[in-house]
Amino acid sequence: MKGWTGNILRVDLSSKTYKKETFSEEFAHKWVGGRGFAVKTLYDELKPGIDPLGPDNKFIVALGPISGIPAPNTGKAVVAAKSPLTGFYGDGNLGTRAVEQLRKAGYDMLIVEGKADRPTMLYIEDDKVEFLPADEIWGKGTFACNDWIYSKYGKGVGVLNIGQGGENLARFAVVRSLEGRAGGRPGIGAVMGSKLLKAIVVKGTRPIPQADPAGMKAAGSADLRQVGVLDKQSGWSIQATTGVLPFCNEVAGLPVRNFRKTHHPLAWQVDGERCNNARVATYGCPTCTMRCGVTVLDKEGHESELDYENVALLGPNLEIFDIPQMASLNYLCDEFGLDTMSAGCTLSFYADAIDQGAVDGDFKFGDAERAKELLRLAAHREGKVGHLLADGTRRMARAFGRGSEAYAMNVKGLEVAAYNCKFIPGQALSYGVAPIGAHHREAWIITFEIKHTTRESYGPEKAAKVIELQRIRGGLFEFIVACRFPWIENGWPLDHYPKYFNLATGLNWGLDDMWQVGDRIYSLIKLHYLREFPGASREDDYPPRVWFDPANADTEGPIAGKHLEIDKYDGLLQHYYDQRGYDRRGIPTMATLRSLGLEDEAADARKYADLTE
Amino acid sequence: MKVRVKVIGPLIYKTGFSERDLELDAETTVRDLVEQIGIPPERPRIVTRNGKAVLPEDRLADGDTIAVSPIYSGG
Repeated sequence: MKGWTGNILRVDLSSKTYKKETFSEEFAHKWVGGRGFAVKTLYDELKPGIDPLGPDNKFIVALGPISGIPAPNTGKAVVAAKSPLTGFYGDGNLGTRAVEQLRKAGYDMLIVEGKADRPTMLYIEDDKVEFLPADEIWGKGTFACNDWIYSKYGKGVGVLNIGQGGENLARFAVVRSLEGRAGGRPGIGAVMGSKLLKAIVVKGTRPIPQADPAGMKAAGSADLRQVGVLDKQSGWSIQATTGVLPFCNEVAGLPVRNFRKTHHPLAWQVDGERCNNARVATYGCPTCTMRCGVTVLDKEGHESELDYENVALLGPNLEIFDIPQMASLNYLCDEFGLDTMSAGCTLSFYADAIDQGAVDGDFKFGDAERAKELLRLAAHREGKVGHLLADGTRRMARAFGRGSEAYAMNVKGLEVAAYNCKFIPGQALSYGVAPIGAHHREAWIITFEIKHTTRESYGPEKAAKVIELQRIRGGLFEFIVACRFPWIENGWPLDHYPKYFNLATGLNWGLDDMWQVGDRIYSLIKLHYLREFPGASREDDYPPRVWFDPANADTEGPIAGKHLEIDKYDGLLQHYYDQRGYDRRGIPTMATLRSLGLEDEAADARKYADLTE
Repeated sequence: MKVRVKVIGPLIYKTGFSERDLELDAETTVRDLVEQIGIPPERPRIVTRNGKAVLPEDRLADGDTIAVSPIYSGG
């Protein structure tokens, strides 16, 4: 078996023991890596119903066969666990030098089990694992934690850590890397915190196994240059993702005031042009030649790295149209290790619920200073409000009642990313059927929907496009593991990815083989959902109900009077299920599961709920 | 006729402006406008009027607000 190291590092924090395990060629070929390894491992090893924040949960870092190899944008890791936010499989990816170092240490996956008896930092160097006390950095933010690790180990190591949000079990705490990146929106950082695991430092000294190292080096080096050339031609990374804000504003797809509005006359004040004008630095992941981090100074003078999602959700969605103030909220999320998107939705929901009379409180849209304090309370779970916010929108809405569930902007518990689908049916479907909750990573079809279809349509072409993009974005790029930006933003051809995969593994796979793996992963996430929620229904795949509400329709602008229609959305959902081979609950049928080689997993799922033949 | 043109993302570095009112001939099409503001014809783009996509051959009308954007893919 080439391309994979073939090794898993399994660490038990309770007993302070570790072992190196091997995996089979069948496992490698069936699940490839990243998200595939993570979901298969968690499905097999987690008992149904365990507490995501208890010692029985497992924290996984999973890589793929091209991870850490100098080819375009291969510096990404998948972090995964049973989510404390959604209650089933959750994951995310982040750029980190830990990818290359973990592979050089000889591992394709790290599984962390149990719970330490005191704050702990894992130090991994090849075959050696040390369980080091982390008392000096426990209670500190991610930037201070990074400085401390720098001072001990230098900048050559790979680091994953958490901030106060993860330590205090905020359900949307993320994992952070030394490179300023964050991943694991569904509270994967809180799972680290629940294990008293503050940081992982990893250093490797061995070559990464590849079937054709010379071929890979030649292709990888040339392609890295070419991706950089393409980016210079397009100019994409000048504004990077922040450039999308004025587009969303123009087409009435921007979240404003907890998604109540879809556009705003002041949105230009935080658009990509202004963010770029305010730029003081640019951040990027390892092996990237189209770096996307637009870094500005926040109100207090900290460097704060922006992208569209955090600008939109911590800016216009809170009716904050001031770059330094919005950047302060973003900085605090990064420092505390909170997901910027869920944080933005949680704060906006709180302000909206106060507005609607669902709860008493002192937070208003546009109040940046109070928003900063609320983030601090959430990250530290201070007081009643801190506890409420730290639990995310769905739990807050259950506590508030009074109809607030309708405008708690989440699907399956995961907060909606920064696209307002009040009248964008295909993107609403994308959120509804995203396997881990309302993540934008899985499928983003707004431009396609507006350019190539009738916006009002709920037709099968939109379901087909969602599936096409899920296979690429939520499948290929998440299991191989690489960043999608060269392909999606600059047109770098997808064929390159089977090429890298084949150079690494010596296999001869094409894109069709990749789609099969992606479909298998999606189906297994669905089975995990069913196992945790045996009463799963198609309504679980509906977007937030406020988008169906005629009273919530815009009163002016491009979509005045328009809103999603629930019956038509349900029809669009059925198109998706039919094309996917899922039953009326949105669960893969036995025929689909058999075609993907998931008979054993299906047999297990049947212990908990019926499957449709 | 007078048309307000908004240019989005890195396309502003081709046109040199992000928003401008332009005086155009009555028969001007979307294709004419895009060419006139300096965006290369081969550059993928989406042009919208009031939030809805327009085709290259569509005629502009007095008072239109037109947005020209790269094909974003949502990060």
